[in-house]
Amino acid sequence: MDNKQPLLDVKDLKQFFRISNKFTVKAVNGVSFHIYPGETYGLVGESGSGKSTIGRSVIRLYDPTAGTINFDGVDISGKLSDTEVQHLRTNMQMIFQDPMASLNPRRKVLDIIAQGLDVHHLCKSKQEREEKVYQILEKVGLSREHANRYPHQFSGGQRQRIGIARALIMNPKLIIADEAISALDVSIQAQVVNLMKEIQRETNIAFLFIAHDLSMVKYISDRIGVLHLGYLLETGTKEEIFSNPVHPYTRSLLSAIPLSNPRIEKHRTSETYEYETSGIDYAKGVSNHIDGTHYVHATPEELKVWL
Amino acid sequence: MTEAIKKEEKILSIRDLSISFQTALGSVDAIRGVELDLYRGETLAIVGESGSGKSVTMKAVMGILSSNGVINSGSIDFTYYDNDEKIDVDILKLTKKHMRSHINGKHIAMIFQDPMTSLNPTMNIGAQIMEGMIWHKKANKKEAYQRALELLELVGITDAKKRMKNYPHQLSGGMRQRVVIAIALACNPDLLICDEPTTALDVTIQAKILELIKDIQKKMNISVIYITHDLGVVAKVADYVAVMYAGKIVEKGTVDEVFYDPRHPYTWGLLSAMPDLDTFDDVLYTIPGSPPNLSHKVEGDAFADRNIYALNIDHRLEPPMFKISDTHYAATWLLHEKAPKVEMPKALKERIERMLKEASDDGQ
Ligand SMILES: Nc1ncnc2c1ncn2[C@@H]1O[C@H](COP(=O)(O)OP(=O)(O)OP(=O)(O)O)[C@@H](O)[C@H]1O
Ligand SMILES: Nc1ncnc2c1ncn2[C@@H]1O[C@H](COP(=O)(O)OP(=O)(O)OP(=O)(O)O)[C@@H](O)[C@H]1O
Ligand code: SF4
Ligand SMILES: [Mg+2]
Ligand SMILES: [Mg+2]
Repeated sequence: MDNKQPLLDVKDLKQFFRISNKFTVKAVNGVSFHIYPGETYGLVGESGSGKSTIGRSVIRLYDPTAGTINFDGVDISGKLSDTEVQHLRTNMQMIFQDPMASLNPRRKVLDIIAQGLDVHHLCKSKQEREEKVYQILEKVGLSREHANRYPHQFSGGQRQRIGIARALIMNPKLIIADEAISALDVSIQAQVVNLMKEIQRETNIAFLFIAHDLSMVKYISDRIGVLHLGYLLETGTKEEIFSNPVHPYTRSLLSAIPLSNPRIEKHRTSETYEYETSGIDYAKGVSNHIDGTHYVHATPEELKVWL
Repeated sequence: MTEAIKKEEKILSIRDLSISFQTALGSVDAIRGVELDLYRGETLAIVGESGSGKSVTMKAVMGILSSNGVINSGSIDFTYYDNDEKIDVDILKLTKKHMRSHINGKHIAMIFQDPMTSLNPTMNIGAQIMEGMIWHKKANKKEAYQRALELLELVGITDAKKRMKNYPHQLSGGMRQRVVIAIALACNPDLLICDEPTTALDVTIQAKILELIKDIQKKMNISVIYITHDLGVVAKVADYVAVMYAGKIVEKGTVDEVFYDPRHPYTWGLLSAMPDLDTFDDVLYTIPGSPPNLSHKVEGDAFADRNIYALNIDHRLEPPMFKISDTHYAATWLLHEKAPKVEMPKALKERIERMLKEASDDGQ
């Protein structure tokens, strides 16, 4: 992995929102991470920690307050030229949490999926457009007959496949999946996750996978980043994070995953973590190398206590 | 002594419940003969595929079915105490008005998935907790205020006096959900129904809230029904589990029976599909096919078409509930004495053995 070029390289990203003269929300406060081609990076952390904001800054729905975002060899953190916008909008795609809310109910599946092709004028003929949609439908486990239906005529899992098809048809290098499976039931989650992995094997696509279900994140990700209050507290391979969590917040997060083994789960209580009373100051911490790809955000004194 | 008697007391008993919905495309048989029992102080978890009828069943218990719903048959017997007087009712025979003024919010309380939709954004949370007590219990303002303070502290909200004056948007998601729980508990319900109470929350807050409900349940001896698709949550909180499929309960038993000795092929599929923190398998198991269309009459076992273990008879005749133990039942012809012997999938069997071993290593 060492000599490979990252596909996405985010350095010291800050995304602030000014609410009033006196008050600014520091949603993302100096976050760095990178994703290699063909890799899945999982982003976890409590509600409000800044996960979606990172996704939205990276795909440039926001103007970053500070920091750099390098995507596919191009710095996309500043003002973008038309060709850079075109490059970004085709090579980076996003899948959203609620498939029903993100699919236009009055448009046929064919037109929903072809939307990106239409916007960027990527098809020469009507026939080519249809053929591309049919191919992608098959890839996500639907059939060409589905092309003429409307979103409400599909089950939750099938709708999420339409969302994936719409992202895939652009043949992107990176897909940001923001809570893309959280609303689905276990068996359907498994279908969607298997599909994402299979497509990754075929096309070497990279995923930024945002979720709060850690067991799914562990299953799908190669590396994981733990976010809290806008700070990336710990990052590493899933083995590094799950077998050697260093930061107390990561430890409490892992201890809170309910295990599906009743005889153990009934007697377990989770570790608690309260930032306000912990004595930890994120603003003073820096990134510390533990080993391999494992990094922890801490002051030298904090690190001494935790290791 | 009274404790023991109360523990054995049945508070909810659903029999032969069938519900259809009238839609533009015809009638949908959403609930097809549900039977369920719940005892005082105990916790039941209902699991099952999306659309299997979990929420509709619980809405029937609350008497809040949508207007196109029709009850075809059945009874929902509910037992509660009003000023120490024991009262038995069949909820299906009560009017909506009676449910609203005598049962809902007082004897049966429900927590919905999204706390924001069940809170009033224009009213401070203190007033919202007190409202139910003043309306149902005819408590005076001072008593209600005192009790609201206690409840906020009980659900782990510090600085309760100040928080009483906060509006919902001034609280974090986890705090809001705790306020919803405080409101639900304000009238000392006999039964608390939680429909996906923690899916919107992250794991740390989820764990705290589940531990909290458990704690309060023990203190107040209330019965709780959870609807969830997170089997880890089930493992943590449930005494009993009911597995729903296509409008029916296909397996029920103690949490141990369902997790370590599942008998229905759908339950096998459900347990196999959950990701396992201990393995790095490459492909997650999924249940093949999709659930049946309930606007057509179901012939035989509704799961037969997706079941690789299906017998001939499964396609013709709906299986009855077979008894496995006093508490464990499953509706599959595989349990018929003349059925060929079919074992659960090997991978699931190994996983259960591993779970049992971990539990015994853990001293449980
Ligand atoms: N457009 C915005 N304007 C102002 N504040 C915002 C905006 N977007 C996000 N925030 C704030 O930034 C913080 C991070 O929000 P974000 O949506 O990134 O959280 P998240 O980690 O995705 O949480 P969840 O798991 O609940 O989706 C929150 O405090 C949120 O209120
Ligand atoms: N008002 C209604 N009109 C028509 N059909 C309905 C109505 N309400 C529910 N249904 C149908 O009844 C069935 C059971 O729905 P229910 O909401 O109980 O599912 P569920 O088990 O709670 O699923 P989920 O896990 O997705 O919440 C579904 O097929 C649903 O489409
Ligand atoms: S408290 Fe009031 S509303 Fe509730 S049961 Fe008694 S009389 Fe009816
Ligand atoms: Mg988010
Ligand atoms: Mg439901």
